[in-house]
Amino acid sequence: MFEFIVRRILWLIPVIFVVSVITFVLMHAVPGGPFDAEKALPQAIIDNLNAKYHLDDPLWKQYVDYMYGFIRFDLGPSISYRSRTVNDILAQQWPVTAMLGLASFAIALFGGIPLGLISAMKQNSLADYASMGISMLGLSVPNMALGPLLIWIFALRLKWFPVATWGSPIHVVLPAITLGTAYMASFARLTRASMLQVIREDYIQTARAKGVRQTTVMLKHALRNALIPVSTIAGPSFAGIMTGSMIVERIFAIPGIGKYYVTSVSNRDYPVIMATTLVFALAVVFMNMLVDVSYGILDPRIRYN
Amino acid sequence: MRRLIRNKAAIVGGFIVFSLIIVAIGANWIAPYGYTEGHVRDNYLAPNSSHLMGCDFMGRDVLSRLIYGARVSLAAAFVGALTSFLIGVIYGLVSGFLGGRVDNMMMRFVDIMFAFPTLLLIILLMVYFKSTFSVIEPGTFRGFLSNLDRSMGGMLFIFIGIGITSWLGMARLIRGMTLSVREKEYMEAARAIGASRTRQVFRHIFPNILGPAIVSQALQIPGFILYEAFLSFIGLGVNPPTPSWGAMLNEGYIGMRSHFNLVLWPAVAISITLFAFNFLGDGVRDAFDPRQTR
Repeated sequence: MFEFIVRRILWLIPVIFVVSVITFVLMHAVPGGPFDAEKALPQAIIDNLNAKYHLDDPLWKQYVDYMYGFIRFDLGPSISYRSRTVNDILAQQWPVTAMLGLASFAIALFGGIPLGLISAMKQNSLADYASMGISMLGLSVPNMALGPLLIWIFALRLKWFPVATWGSPIHVVLPAITLGTAYMASFARLTRASMLQVIREDYIQTARAKGVRQTTVMLKHALRNALIPVSTIAGPSFAGIMTGSMIVERIFAIPGIGKYYVTSVSNRDYPVIMATTLVFALAVVFMNMLVDVSYGILDPRIRYN
Repeated sequence: MRRLIRNKAAIVGGFIVFSLIIVAIGANWIAPYGYTEGHVRDNYLAPNSSHLMGCDFMGRDVLSRLIYGARVSLAAAFVGALTSFLIGVIYGLVSGFLGGRVDNMMMRFVDIMFAFPTLLLIILLMVYFKSTFSVIEPGTFRGFLSNLDRSMGGMLFIFIGIGITSWLGMARLIRGMTLSVREKEYMEAARAIGASRTRQVFRHIFPNILGPAIVSQALQIPGFILYEAFLSFIGLGVNPPTPSWGAMLNEGYIGMRSHFNLVLWPAVAISITLFAFNFLGDGVRDAFDPRQTR
C-alpha cells in the first residue's frame, strides 16, 4: 500500500514537467507581450521592462529559471499586478477556489451516492424515476445556465441567499450547488447502475442466504463493490469541478483564481499563467492520487497487484 | 436498432435532436429576423407580439438569434465529435496495432495528457488561434485559414481546439480494443495470407471496433456542446455577431435582475439540447450493450 502511494506521488514529476513545458511553449507562442496593451511606450522603456522580467533571455533559460523558482516555492512577480507577487495572489485566492471546489465535490459525492443508492434499492419505484429524472435534469442544465437561474429564484426573488461574492458560509451554498449538481447527477446515475449490477451477483445472494440483515448487505457488501466504478470517475469529476469553477466564480463574482487565469492569458502575464496552470494541474493530480488510493482501499485486488 | 426504438426516452431525445437539425438548417426561413438585424432603440425590449422573446442589448430579436445559435451548437457537436473521433481512432489504431515500445510511449503520453486540465489548454489554444489567425494576408496559409475561420463565423478554430483536447479517451478505448482484436484468429488468418499491414488494420480491425467507438463518441457529444458554450461564455468562442447560446448567456446575465428573459431562453435552449443528446446517447449505449439488465 505504501509503495502504491509512493509510486503515485512519483508520477507527479513527469506530469508537472510535461504540463509546464506545454504551457510555457504555448504561452510564448501566443503573439504579443505583456507590455503591448498599455499606451505605446518608448522602445527604451520596453527594453528595460523586458530586462527586468528576464523576458529577453533565451526561452530555455526563462523556463529553467522559472522551474527552479517553482521548486523553491518562489513563483515570481506578477507582470500585470505590479504590487503583488504570484505567491501573494495564490495565497489570497487559492483558498477561495479550493473551498468552492471541495464544497462542490462534497455535494456531488455525499448527495449523489446516497441518491443512487436509494434509487437502486427501490428500483422502478416512484422514488427511482423521480431521482433519475432529476439527475438527468441536473446533467443537462450546464452550470453557466444553472447559476443565473438559481440566483434569480433563490437570491433575487425569494431572498434566501446572498446574490454573489464571498465571505461567510452562506455565500458558499448557491455556487457550490451550481458547480456540484452536474457531478452529483453523474455520481447518482453511476452508483445506481453499478448497484443494480452488484445486487445480482452471487455473493449478495449468499449473504442474504446466510441471514445477514438487508441493510448490512446493502451497505457493507454491495455498496463497497459498487463504488469501484464510481471512484474511477471521481478523479475526472474533480478536475471538471476545478475547471468549472472558472465560470461559477465569474457568475457569482467570487474572488478565486479562475478569473486570474483568463485575464492573465489575455494580458500575457506569464508567471501567473504558469502558476495557475501548474497549481490546477497539481490539484487534479493530487486528487487523482487520493482517488487511486481509495480505489485501492475499496478493491483489494488492486493493492496486491 | 430495435432496442433503441423501444426506449421511449431515446425516441424523445432523437426527435428533439432531429427537430434541432431541421431548425438549424432552415434557420433562414424559420427565424423572423436576421441575427444582426436590430435597432438600438429596441434594446432590452420586453417580449411582445413582434419579438416573441424580446430583444437583446443591441435590439436584436432573441428568438431569431436563438434559432441561428442552434447552428453553432450543432456544428460544434457534430464536427467536434468528428474531429476528435478521427484523431482518437487513428492514434489508438496505430498504438494498438504496433504494440510494444511504440504503444508504451504513446500511451504514456496519453496518460500524462489526461492529467492536464483540458479547459486550461483549450483556453490557451483559443487565445493562440485567435491572435495568430486574425490577419487577412491573402496567398499565405495563415491567410487562408484566417479567411476560412472568418467565413465560418469563428468556428474553425473551435473545432480544431475541441478536436485537439478531446481525443484522449477515444484513443485509449480504441487502443484497448485493437489490442484484443489483434489476437483473434481471423487476424492471424489475414496475416497468414499475406495481408499488408494497412489492409489488416482497415479492413479487419476497424470494422470490428466501430460499434463501441461510435457509442463512446455519441456519449461525448453533450460535452462538446458544453465546451463551445463555455468558450463563448468567456469570450473565446465564436466571433460576434455570430450568435451562440453561450455568448447569449454571457451578454444576458449582466442584466439578469431586470431582463431575465435574456438569460432564460438561451438557458432553456442549451438545457433541452443537452437533455435530448443525453437521452439519445444513453439509448444508443443501452441498445449496443450486450448485457441487458432489464
